[in-house]
Amino acid sequence: MSRFNFILRRLLVTVPMVLVVVALTWALIRLAPGSFYEGERKLPPTIEKNIRARYGLDQPWYVQYGKVMGNILRLDFGNSLRYENETVNEILRRTVPVSAALGTCAYLLALVVGITLGTVAALRQNSKIDYGAMTLTMLGISFPNFVLGPILVLVFALSLYWLPPARWGGFPSRSLILPVLTLSFIYMAYIARLTRAGMLEVLRSDYIRTARAKGLTEAQVVWRHAMRGGLLPVVSFTGPALALLISGTVVVERIFAMPGLGNYFINANLNRDEPLILGIVAFTSMTVLIFNLLVDVAYAYIDPRIRY
Amino acid sequence: MSKAKRLRLIAQVVGCAILAAGCVARAQKQEWFGVTSPPPGQTLRYITGAEPESLDPQMSSGQPEARIAISMFEGLLEYHPKTLEPIPGVAERWASNGNASEFVFFLRRNAKFSNGDDITARDFVYTIRRGLRPELASRVAFMAWDIKYAEALNEGGAFVRDPKTGRFVLASEAAEAEGAAPAQEPSKAGEDIAPDTEFHRLIHEPERLVVPSDEKERAKKVKAGTKLAGLVEGKEFVPVKPEDIGVEAVDDYTLRFTLKQPTPYFLGITQHQFFRVIHEKTVERYGVNWTRPGNIVCSGSHMLAEHTPYNQVVVVKNPKYWDAARVRLEKISFFPLEEQTTMMNLFKAGEVDATYNHSVPASWLRAGLRHSKDYMDAPENGSQYWQLNTKQGPTTDKRFRKALAMSVDRQALQGFRVVSKANGAFVPTGILPGYQSPPGFTLDVEGAKRLLAEAGYKDASGNFDPSKFPVKDLEITYNTSESNRQVAEFMQAQWKQHLGVTIPLRNIETKSFFGMRARLDYKGIAAGAGWSGDYMDPYTYLGLFATAAGDNGTGWYDPKYVKMLEAANREADQAKRYQMLSKVEEYLLDNAPIIPLLKPATSWMKKPYVKGLYPNPGTLHAWKFVYIEHDQAKWDTAMPDMTNPHYDGE
Repeated sequence: MSRFNFILRRLLVTVPMVLVVVALTWALIRLAPGSFYEGERKLPPTIEKNIRARYGLDQPWYVQYGKVMGNILRLDFGNSLRYENETVNEILRRTVPVSAALGTCAYLLALVVGITLGTVAALRQNSKIDYGAMTLTMLGISFPNFVLGPILVLVFALSLYWLPPARWGGFPSRSLILPVLTLSFIYMAYIARLTRAGMLEVLRSDYIRTARAKGLTEAQVVWRHAMRGGLLPVVSFTGPALALLISGTVVVERIFAMPGLGNYFINANLNRDEPLILGIVAFTSMTVLIFNLLVDVAYAYIDPRIRY
Repeated sequence: MSKAKRLRLIAQVVGCAILAAGCVARAQKQEWFGVTSPPPGQTLRYITGAEPESLDPQMSSGQPEARIAISMFEGLLEYHPKTLEPIPGVAERWASNGNASEFVFFLRRNAKFSNGDDITARDFVYTIRRGLRPELASRVAFMAWDIKYAEALNEGGAFVRDPKTGRFVLASEAAEAEGAAPAQEPSKAGEDIAPDTEFHRLIHEPERLVVPSDEKERAKKVKAGTKLAGLVEGKEFVPVKPEDIGVEAVDDYTLRFTLKQPTPYFLGITQHQFFRVIHEKTVERYGVNWTRPGNIVCSGSHMLAEHTPYNQVVVVKNPKYWDAARVRLEKISFFPLEEQTTMMNLFKAGEVDATYNHSVPASWLRAGLRHSKDYMDAPENGSQYWQLNTKQGPTTDKRFRKALAMSVDRQALQGFRVVSKANGAFVPTGILPGYQSPPGFTLDVEGAKRLLAEAGYKDASGNFDPSKFPVKDLEITYNTSESNRQVAEFMQAQWKQHLGVTIPLRNIETKSFFGMRARLDYKGIAAGAGWSGDYMDPYTYLGLFATAAGDNGTGWYDPKYVKMLEAANREADQAKRYQMLSKVEEYLLDNAPIIPLLKPATSWMKKPYVKGLYPNPGTLHAWKFVYIEHDQAKWDTAMPDMTNPHYDGE
């Protein structure tokens, strides 16, 4: 099967998968008690009736469901219920770049630092550097970002007054530094550990011994031969990592008051803002599926053993 | 890793933690919390709470929105910066008739929208009619329901007319048919304030009967009422139009409201954002998008410059505002934020100048922040109480309910809660000058036990017996929130200590909780957070129990109570009316459908260089009086004195 066919088939599978996810989400929203217009105060029945009529909630469920699915297929998620002069698409267009900027910066930082740390640790196995790096990564994995974030704020924003403690200052700006650090720490740790493990395995393999025997310098061995095999675990980690990154930004955006997707996602759920929840869920699941596909494709390029 | 190395590592981590904690502790011993250097010029950076659901003043219900609306839109009356009493806004002066069923506002002639158009009485008429249109589906439209036929318009009602004679069926006919006493017609004595007009005579004709326009709903209602069928038989139905409601532009600068009943607190209602004037042409041209920057036309001291959701709403000074000479803030940035810790971080780092109410985490207050001079602690327009289910279980017995309310030590609760103050009555004292609440409940364990014994929970010798207490029929049902949980646990301990019974706790997710409470679907005790007043009058609290539905939540509905309330509202003399309302409150407490607990206090932060911003009972600020003081000698040295009604910029 050609690579093109493979990609096409995977893309076609994506559509029903997203629809299933959206349908399940829709059902869950309907099962959850409460509705978007309910607050602490009980609305007079008249006002409740007006609101229900305006948003089509007085129609039978299959009509509403049909409308939702039609919207999703047209990639037009309709208007938010809570922020009524905004369409979900506008919200996505505005918030995705913020979350993407955070996530991308964090992941790139994690890649650079993580791979360096992991490689060095593998090359100097059982040395002080190795132990130091692995202790740091252990901390990174076990330290949740809602603990790390406030500690960084306490030190750099409230004691040293070097960086702003929160709020979005545009891209690029100093306001990104603390949230990106907070977000990237755990990935840095994972990547360093994966790199170390991968490199250790590869460095002992026959083809590396051959390369060394051929008289290549250590740098050539590491860069041209060991890295390619040693980084495979990192590549396969990238798919789920990007999915995790999306849920990770939810917390970090909250702590640092960033106007990204995560903040909307939390509030959309609390507000029972159905079109917005469905829009974000559909967008997120599409992103995850596409990233997984990209990872699979990238595998073939990196690892000569994999064929479609 | 060797053992020694591991120990060293642990020591280092612990050291860092202690250092970090030390930083916090040191900061909190300071007079002011964090940085006190004002931003350049006249710019205020303010945290207003959640992202506004809408910038449309007729659509938004919450406080975050109200504060933004005050900056962009002006109403007939504005809030006094300290007491929230009505002060002139677009209206220069106002008058009401003898029984407060008709109000006339005289508008200033120099009021303008931000595009230069004059603000006239017609703009107010448009604003209010639009807000009440059922298709707009405003969730705060009920604020205007005191206006005659406003509720009928909002619910899509219709008048009933005889097609032959053209005569409308009257509400009194339906009331007589149903055997109820006819409603009292409000007095007509308003002509001496403003000229009589044809509309005025029309609106003062006896009240017409209103039935639902929708055929299905009408059929339902006709079925329910025994004699309604005869009245509507063969009649035509005329939908209530926006022109039918009791608001009239007598001329360009005279606005008259005719209300369906005496409403002495009506002035306080007109301060709400629902009554703040909007620009008709802009709204009709842009529809739901009229509030976007670029489209919007404002009427307040400031106008919208930027809105990036979840980031900021920026308003700048409106040069066309009639009182622009007084306005000093060139720019206000409202930051929508909900994480308390993040807010405090920003405040400490000097990135914001003031925060909204209840923005300080309790743990920070306990750690000493409440002694900081930038902490605002003043009485608030709110009441914290628990509701009791009077329709089922042991709480149907008034003695049982009173016993629960009597066996709580509110002083201890106050000490535990840090911010709120003990309150054994329902209406909060100290915010309404001249209103005296009844003494209310105090801790009286013996009295409570006696009542419980009378209610049948007694041993052979007639004393209260905890083992007979119906614990299994009760639950303290509270909605998810840290503070609700703490109060619920405290109360559980109180009843354990005083009565020797352990009532189980039950936590319910917030959205579900309100529905359950409204349906009375809870066992005994609903432990919500309480009520914030909509306006400055005891009726905003006492009125909750004038109907069995709505936010009552207890099922307690007593016609005698409603009659007492109505009688008080017909009283023109404010001092006498307050006395009567105090009696009404006493009657309510004697029936104890609620357990009053606390009255909230304001809890927010303000830098000393922000002047004209006061901890008033509603945390609603007229921004036209606020400014940044760059002369350090004139900075606040403590929380502003709230007992003196004078304010900066007066």
